[in-house]
Amino acid sequence: MSAKLTARDRMTRLLAVIPWVVEEDGASLDDVAARFDYPRDQLVADLTEVVLFVGVHPFTPDSLIEVDITDDRVQIRYADWFNQPLRLTAEEGARLLTAGRSVLSIGGDADNDTAEIDSAGFDDEEASPLLRALTKLGMALGASADSAVDVRLGDAPEATLETLRRAVGEGTQVELDYYTYGRDELTTRIVDPARVFSDHGNWYLHGYCHRANAERVFRVDRIRDARPSATPITHTIETSGGLFTPGGDEPRVHMHLPADASWVVEQYPTESAEARSDGSIDVVMAVTATPWLERLLLRLGPTASILESSEAVPEDLVSAAAQRVLARYTA
Amino acid sequence: MDKLERLLNLAAALLDADRAMTADELRDRIGGYPESKASFRRAFERDKDDLRAMGLPISVEPVAGTDPPLDGYRMRRADYSGAEIRLEPDELAALHLATNLVRLDGAASGLIKLGAGGGDAAEEVGYVPFNDALAVMIAAAADRKAVTFIYNDVVRTVEPWRLSFSRGHWYLSGWDRTRDDDRLYRVDRISGTVELGDDAQHEIGSIDDPTDLRGWELGDGDAIRARVRVDAVQAAHARHLLGAVEEEASGSVIAEIDVRNPEAFRSFVLSFLDHAEVLEPPELRASMIDWLESFA
Repeated sequence: MSAKLTARDRMTRLLAVIPWVVEEDGASLDDVAARFDYPRDQLVADLTEVVLFVGVHPFTPDSLIEVDITDDRVQIRYADWFNQPLRLTAEEGARLLTAGRSVLSIGGDADNDTAEIDSAGFDDEEASPLLRALTKLGMALGASADSAVDVRLGDAPEATLETLRRAVGEGTQVELDYYTYGRDELTTRIVDPARVFSDHGNWYLHGYCHRANAERVFRVDRIRDARPSATPITHTIETSGGLFTPGGDEPRVHMHLPADASWVVEQYPTESAEARSDGSIDVVMAVTATPWLERLLLRLGPTASILESSEAVPEDLVSAAAQRVLARYTA
Repeated sequence: MDKLERLLNLAAALLDADRAMTADELRDRIGGYPESKASFRRAFERDKDDLRAMGLPISVEPVAGTDPPLDGYRMRRADYSGAEIRLEPDELAALHLATNLVRLDGAASGLIKLGAGGGDAAEEVGYVPFNDALAVMIAAAADRKAVTFIYNDVVRTVEPWRLSFSRGHWYLSGWDRTRDDDRLYRVDRISGTVELGDDAQHEIGSIDDPTDLRGWELGDGDAIRARVRVDAVQAAHARHLLGAVEEEASGSVIAEIDVRNPEAFRSFVLSFLDHAEVLEPPELRASMIDWLESFA
């Protein structure tokens, strides 16, 4: 069940519980506990030790809320102030609308094996309970709610996502042609897929890679082709892990970035970042592959520089890369 | 007295009041507050903040007959309950599941107010960055209100049409009253808070769908048509990113790209390293060469 509820959590729930119980003319404690995610013991304690003493000045019996619990049913009377549900704020409504629209944006193909997504009903939009809920929510939010928000969780081809989700559901291996952007190479590998998820607008596959003999996270839009197989997976992994986190083994690069390149610190994992007095920044980052670093430095321009070179990251890395690209234009 | 009990009594007193009540009046009517004036004020302010955070609409108005005027507090029933949203059990469950499947940054969704609890835990399938400014703008787009914010150090008043999340960024499209034109903004470049304004005047128009726009298309200038060759080894990647491309006999492809932001275009072409080349127009080709030569 839920973690311990704060006074605010309990009050938000009670302001929803009271009008519901009043409207229903009494309800079973189990129903209330389930519907409002309210641990039953806490619910009973709050009703009998708190709500019973709520009212207005002068707090005589006729100005207090009446709570009656008999045979696991609760009745609430004289709660005039709280008989109507507390409104959903516009911001809360916008959050719900966004979450709902995000789920609607997942796929659109009819037969999807991801059971939990199916039960949200996105594959039959006409009748889906989610769409009905969003329509009702939209009516409360305003006339243009239907067009107010649009979420794309990722840009990967639907057929690839479909293949991967199916394989996750069935516990079978997939063979991937995968383009490794950082290393600028195309490889083929067998993967035991564990989870397909979206983070910051990209779809990812988390799984066990038989080529690397290790867990890997793949960007689905860089999978050129995904071929299903009937072979059951041989490795199961915990899928709670996040995205790229530098391990201990990758070489580090120590760079100096101009002040207008502070976005680098926000968008890439950095080990340390220190601003100098002129606003420029010293950063240390893990380098998994040099093409990645070449792209970053070519994009930033010559005002960004490598402060400490090493075998993996030579001093002339970026000028050599610039020469290589330039050769296309001058040849 | 239990804090929950005091909060509930404060809410009941505010709803029960037929006029604005001073803090002292409320203390006398509710009880349960500390004796000393200073500790009472602190506790009272905290309680008000808590109620507001739950979405309780406490209004502040001067109390009649006080001179100098004192702040008084009350809650109007009409503000408290608002539009009713009555969801069937399957609709509640679907909405509840949606909030589990897709995680948004920040505060809880408020779904509990509609009564969706428990349910089966679902493994999250997506994470979308979110914040209060976005919530305000989405609500404004839904209800056709204007918003005011600072973008590129300029105060702008915009009538939002749509908030779109694509490729990891939120975009706002709408009518910019300051510029008297339709505009597209990157939400993460909006600084400070977003203030809600009056009713929108301009019809909702069509604007290029930002989900199809790239960095090099976000700019104020006229578009320049560029031609870029991408080598065969990266052709599939280019096709995926750019859609229709023209294939050459060698397997390489030619992409035509409308450029409004030359710097973003340069970054994009460089992301292919030596597998791509700007062919036309001459000025974009020359500026790429200048850029590359500056590394020498």
